[in-house]
Amino acid sequence: MLRRPLCFIAAALACGTTFSALAETTAEDAYSYRESVMTSLRGHIGAASAIVRGLVSDDGFLLDHAQGLATGVAEIHRLFPAGSAVEDSEALPVIWEKPEEFDAAILRAEEATEAFRKAVADGAGSEAIGAAFRDVGMSCRNCHDNFRMEK
Amino acid sequence: MTRAAVLSRAAFGLALACVPALAGAQDDARIARGEYIAHAGGCITCHTAKDEGAAFLAGGRALESPFGTFYSPNITPDPETGIGGWSDDEFVRAFQDGISPDGDAYFPAFPYTSYTGVSREDLLDLKAYLTSIEPVRQANREHDLPPFMGSRTAAGVWRSRYFKPLRFHPDPDRDEAWNRGAYLVRHLGHCGECHTPRARLGALDAERELAGNPDGPGGEKMPNITPHRADGIGRWSVSDIEYFLDIGMEPDGDFAGGSMAPVIEDNTSHLTKEDRRAIAVYLKSLPALPDDE
Repeated sequence: MLRRPLCFIAAALACGTTFSALAETTAEDAYSYRESVMTSLRGHIGAASAIVRGLVSDDGFLLDHAQGLATGVAEIHRLFPAGSAVEDSEALPVIWEKPEEFDAAILRAEEATEAFRKAVADGAGSEAIGAAFRDVGMSCRNCHDNFRMEK
Repeated sequence: MTRAAVLSRAAFGLALACVPALAGAQDDARIARGEYIAHAGGCITCHTAKDEGAAFLAGGRALESPFGTFYSPNITPDPETGIGGWSDDEFVRAFQDGISPDGDAYFPAFPYTSYTGVSREDLLDLKAYLTSIEPVRQANREHDLPPFMGSRTAAGVWRSRYFKPLRFHPDPDRDEAWNRGAYLVRHLGHCGECHTPRARLGALDAERELAGNPDGPGGEKMPNITPHRADGIGRWSVSDIEYFLDIGMEPDGDFAGGSMAPVIEDNTSHLTKEDRRAIAVYLKSLPALPDDE
């Protein structure tokens, strides 16, 4: 029982005022929330991939998944408050050590998901949508390669 | 001189003038094919150090193994520290027979055990490409091995016990995609070097081809990629595998990490869609093996 509060206190001490904006949010809360958003992104990209590759028919749902990706990715910048690298977290310290590199990687993902959403919304051809989706995938992989622990 | 003779001479002169250009175009085509082989063969990942700004293909990347740490050599065309002075036959022998130009056996950290099946034509294309890149003068780093492993004699003994040279021959009962996939997976792409478990003294366990290796390079657990539904990739379709090799996305939307990430980056994402598909067709044809308990 003691571990979580201690962990939070240690994290809060380590990061000074970072949590002040999230007064009631513990490190575990931040981590769980991040995992939830990332899981939703995984669901959207997995579903979008099946439609983009023609394995499942679109029926208008690709736009929902594209929108879900764009919305979720637009939130990534607030998912990594300092000190939220709790024990199970796969987030690498480099996220907080080199914030400008992390921000650039997030920006790339934001631009890619927005371009994909727009391509689907505009009814672009399957080739253009496929290329835009590939960019989304590459931007995800870029972050996961550089900022997530090797499993 | 008749008009016809003048024309004929002019045509001859034109043809002569075209010879160097034609040879140049052939060289370019060969170099381009060789660059593709360098990607498909995974040369870049191992022979370029991980450090930021490391010289391209000048070696120095550490490969940790249960037998010690190997450092990849310089394969730029520098004549003294690289492979600049190698003849065609020496180059081919290194891959197909595991013997260096000095006559020594390589340690199987250089996967000649897989490369042995790569065709001479592909190897000479690769050599043309490697000869075309920027030479870098960078001496090779000595391997960091225990004393009993620390000589080429040990490598020679290993080679004589566990290595048999072979050429790849297409299986006439299989289609073109399967045969291309078999060539890429077993030989050029040397997938088994990580994904097939090793028996005693590091020889690949042929009975468990691609069924996962609990003790892969760097101590990393390498997954089972046979079509076993629970333990392998039996639920992945050919399209899933092809797409994974292109961008690294797993069918459930997760992304490959670990040592597969640079393989996708430097190797499989550069292949044609047909070649990635051929790899998938071959993998789907393997016996579905459960993980070893």
